[in-house]
Amino acid sequence: MRIPAGERRLLLGPNGAGKTTFFNLIAGDFPPSQGEIRIFGQNVTRKSANQRTHLGMARTYQIITLFSKNTLLHNVVISLVGQREIRFNPWSDLRRQTPLWDEARATLALVGLENLANRTVAETSYGERRRLEIAMALAQKPKLLLLDEPLAGLSADERQDVQRLLQSIPRDITIVMIEHDMDVGLSFADVITVMQHGQVVVEGSRADVVADPRTREVYLGH
Amino acid sequence: MRAPSFKLVTWLIAIAALLALPWLVTSDYYVNIASQIIIAAILALSLNLLVGFGGMISLGHAAYLGVAAYVSIYLTAHAGFGHLAGAFIAVGATTVLAMLFGYLALRASGLGFLMITLALGQILWGVAYRWASLTGGDNGLGGLKRPQPFGFNLMDPAIFYYFVLAFLGIALWCIARFVQSALGQSLQGTRDQPRRMRALGYNVWLIQWLSFVFAGFWGAVAGLLYAYYHQFVSPQTLHLTTSAETLLMVIAGGTGTLLGPVVGAALVIILKNVVSAYITRWLILLGVIFVVIVLFMPEGLVPGITRWVRSLRSRPRADKAADTSSIAKDSAR
Repeated sequence: MRIPAGERRLLLGPNGAGKTTFFNLIAGDFPPSQGEIRIFGQNVTRKSANQRTHLGMARTYQIITLFSKNTLLHNVVISLVGQREIRFNPWSDLRRQTPLWDEARATLALVGLENLANRTVAETSYGERRRLEIAMALAQKPKLLLLDEPLAGLSADERQDVQRLLQSIPRDITIVMIEHDMDVGLSFADVITVMQHGQVVVEGSRADVVADPRTREVYLGH
Repeated sequence: MRAPSFKLVTWLIAIAALLALPWLVTSDYYVNIASQIIIAAILALSLNLLVGFGGMISLGHAAYLGVAAYVSIYLTAHAGFGHLAGAFIAVGATTVLAMLFGYLALRASGLGFLMITLALGQILWGVAYRWASLTGGDNGLGGLKRPQPFGFNLMDPAIFYYFVLAFLGIALWCIARFVQSALGQSLQGTRDQPRRMRALGYNVWLIQWLSFVFAGFWGAVAGLLYAYYHQFVSPQTLHLTTSAETLLMVIAGGTGTLLGPVVGAALVIILKNVVSAYITRWLILLGVIFVVIVLFMPEGLVPGITRWVRSLRSRPRADKAADTSSIAKDSAR
């Protein structure tokens, strides 16, 4: 699979098609049994997950993984620190790094969560946590963003909020998204890839994919 | 002028009590008990870095206590080194050992990590027990005279107490700074969500290893003070039971807190050395206390008591609010 820089790619497929596994391979959570992974022209097949992040990759997870006992602001600060030299500093009080906290606040404002900055994640709604995940990914200033079902489990209003947020992400960030909500996904994506059993079955524009009989076969079995 | 906070007042009272202890307690025996508590507290604080802040349960932490004690006693009492050189080499060598042990143990996580640390600790115990020509075997190694830094006679129980208290203060300060630093916060992040931390760009293994080494350093400092206090070390210092007892101090006092290990150390040492004089089966009492803590304060004594005090302090305000509301309702009728 090739994804050019700046593209909005949607990954579709039934449960068990291998979409999240594919993300885990790109992100470095799983090693591939064969083949090669290149990000921005660099072979990252043997690079660890954190090394790939330093190349400009960020992701969200299908199952929300946040620091639930900490505040939203703290979660974003941890995202900001992850790629900075200060992360190895064993002495300076992180609470006194004012520029970091200001930047974190600004990042929360991007996703409309600045009013909840001092609330712990455990005290927020599911939709707010989804937006926080996106904020943490954006805080990393990624060039490649992997979004794993960012709308899953959201109410209609929350979906609209997250949709607006996704549409506002600058076009210079390449986004690959897994999403079961067809309307949202198809309107968002430039190119769609349909997967099944770990293989790419159909790839193309919205019209191409919708018209292709193999797409119907993947979802309906005939 | 704003009244000082409850936390500040508690801290000030505690510091004043610690400084005044040799005058408050008339017997040298109890001053020595206090010194033992402090040495155990430093070891427990170092283990808490791994257990409480890193989520890595180690059953081999006594290795750093024992190795530092053995090295300092051997170098100073048997190999002709001065106290200062012996101390630096003991702590330095033990810290290097922690680097190696961390490298080995962090190849696994969870139960695997626990078993590797247990095994490494027991290997050292076995070496100390069997390599009698170096370690004295079962008879242990002694002959160390306490140093006299700046002319202070550390054989005086009160002076020795202040000596180790100074180390406790430094240890608490350094560990508090570490916990609030970016590296310390990263360690806590790796405890809670290691996968997320990798995705955020953190080298989880390196963070854990650096923390392991830092914990080993403070374990070594505790070992040096242990050697000065007892002027003797035996293989028992390296045994699994010592590691388990230290873990008990951390859990009973409260993991992931700064004062929890100190309180836990006080509990265990007092039961072991004071209560045991009155109750033969003091271990049963320790077990019962531990069960009670787990049932009623599972987070540990310090967080549990803090929670209880907070609930007591908020109750008068809640009652007052309820009274005000009922008065308003009565007036409205």
